[in-house]
Amino acid sequence: MTTTDIGPKGPVGKVGEAVGEYVDRRAGAKTGITWFLKRNIPSETSWFQTLGFAAMATFGLQAVTGMILAMYYKPDPTTAYSSIQHITNEVTWGWLVRGMHKWGASAMIILVFLHMARVFLFGSYKYPRELTWVTGAILLIMVMFMGLTGYLLVWDQRAYWATVVAMNITASAPIIGPYIADILRAGSNFNPDTLSRFYSIHMLVIPGGIATFIGLHLFLVSKLGITEPPWAKRAMRARRAEEAAARAAARERAPQGRREVIVEPATKPVVTVEAGQ
Amino acid sequence: MAESQGNDASQGSSGGQYAGPRAIDPVQEHSHDHDPEFITRTKFLSGVAVAGGAVLTAAILVPIAGFAGADAVKTPKDQWVDVGPVSSFPEGQTSSIAVSGESQWSDARVFLRNKDGQLLAIWNRCAHLGCPVEYLKGGDNFVCPCHGGAYNSLGLVVAGPPPRPLDRFNIKVVNASGATVGSVGKVHGSWSTAGLDPSARLLLGSPFSIDSNQTATRLHDPGEPVTGVLSNLYPF
Repeated sequence: MTTTDIGPKGPVGKVGEAVGEYVDRRAGAKTGITWFLKRNIPSETSWFQTLGFAAMATFGLQAVTGMILAMYYKPDPTTAYSSIQHITNEVTWGWLVRGMHKWGASAMIILVFLHMARVFLFGSYKYPRELTWVTGAILLIMVMFMGLTGYLLVWDQRAYWATVVAMNITASAPIIGPYIADILRAGSNFNPDTLSRFYSIHMLVIPGGIATFIGLHLFLVSKLGITEPPWAKRAMRARRAEEAAARAAARERAPQGRREVIVEPATKPVVTVEAGQ
Repeated sequence: MAESQGNDASQGSSGGQYAGPRAIDPVQEHSHDHDPEFITRTKFLSGVAVAGGAVLTAAILVPIAGFAGADAVKTPKDQWVDVGPVSSFPEGQTSSIAVSGESQWSDARVFLRNKDGQLLAIWNRCAHLGCPVEYLKGGDNFVCPCHGGAYNSLGLVVAGPPPRPLDRFNIKVVNASGATVGSVGKVHGSWSTAGLDPSARLLLGSPFSIDSNQTATRLHDPGEPVTGVLSNLYPF
């Protein structure tokens, strides 16, 4: 057996390789995938660094389930509630897909906050990753806005009044607050256009923004690489070395005769007792 | 540069070099490539392209923005909604009615208070964050289920977070022949029932806000105080 021929043997493998080659020659796909996925990462990368992907995965879940729900949902004040009853009680697996969308929304918010806490506690937002943090903060706002607009679509009493209160909180922001609230609810009060406006924002406006900013976020993550945890051995060694160098430099700068003298701290006063007294 | 070389050549002052006439004179180039003040054709056409692109983009975005937001921030027109004869709101009672019809205030719930010889139309929208307040007959007061706001019989705040009293609707009374008997604008907000024909129709107009002295101001959103320093945060 020779080991030099390790390429694909079967026709399927050959076709697959040919297609990959075709795309790579024209679009640089292999280069892009290598750049994006085959990066060097710190040796002590752990499960904590998977929270961002988990949040993105819930976005995918919400997008797919939301697309199917939109096929049955009717964003009209007279039919919205009954169309949701129809989805839940009559359409095959409607209860399941609606439940995935509902609980996926909560899971997404939780994962986004855990991801943000990880980035904050690891100090991963520091130079040169400030822009990654900024795009993430914009994503957070958009995710919260998805929660607000999606909550109204259920169109029951709780959804209605919770959104009325949320809109009035928006309107109580100084100076521009009333305008923002008026634009969001399509008038100075809740009206038939409010529901379809929230529906459009929920399924067209914000998802487009989230997808765009996830792209920017991932580009920055890929370009800058990920940080190691603060307890990484390499980082600790580096910190210790930096501190030692800083101390050495400070000693060098101090004038002769005034150099810092490290004294052992006295634990108790020394008392001398002279004999004979 | 090219010009000065030409001058040098004509004066024949370049030591050691041929200073006679040349078969081909150096081309006198007027290049402005390095002059930041000068607008070259390239610069001009780039500017035209950018400006034209901006105009075309605006031609698309301005109608979209207006379509999305202009109607929402427009002040609604005054519309009068007939809510029935005066006799259906008997003296000494506060009746709860739902406004129906084409008005943009339809589906609003209004408490018509006919007491002390005065007709008042109090909106059920809590002045705190817009929850629907409930009228309690026993205590003759209004309470909000959301955050504990409470108002007295006139809709003035007695407890809780609301920053101002309950909003009111304009009232108009029209008699059987269709003539307006009287209307109450934003000045008083209530209307004396003395000498009213019980069959005259009661009409509700636009809502307005009041301060704690029942002085009318323009309609505010919930959460906005109408007096005090903080009212300056909501100038429009």
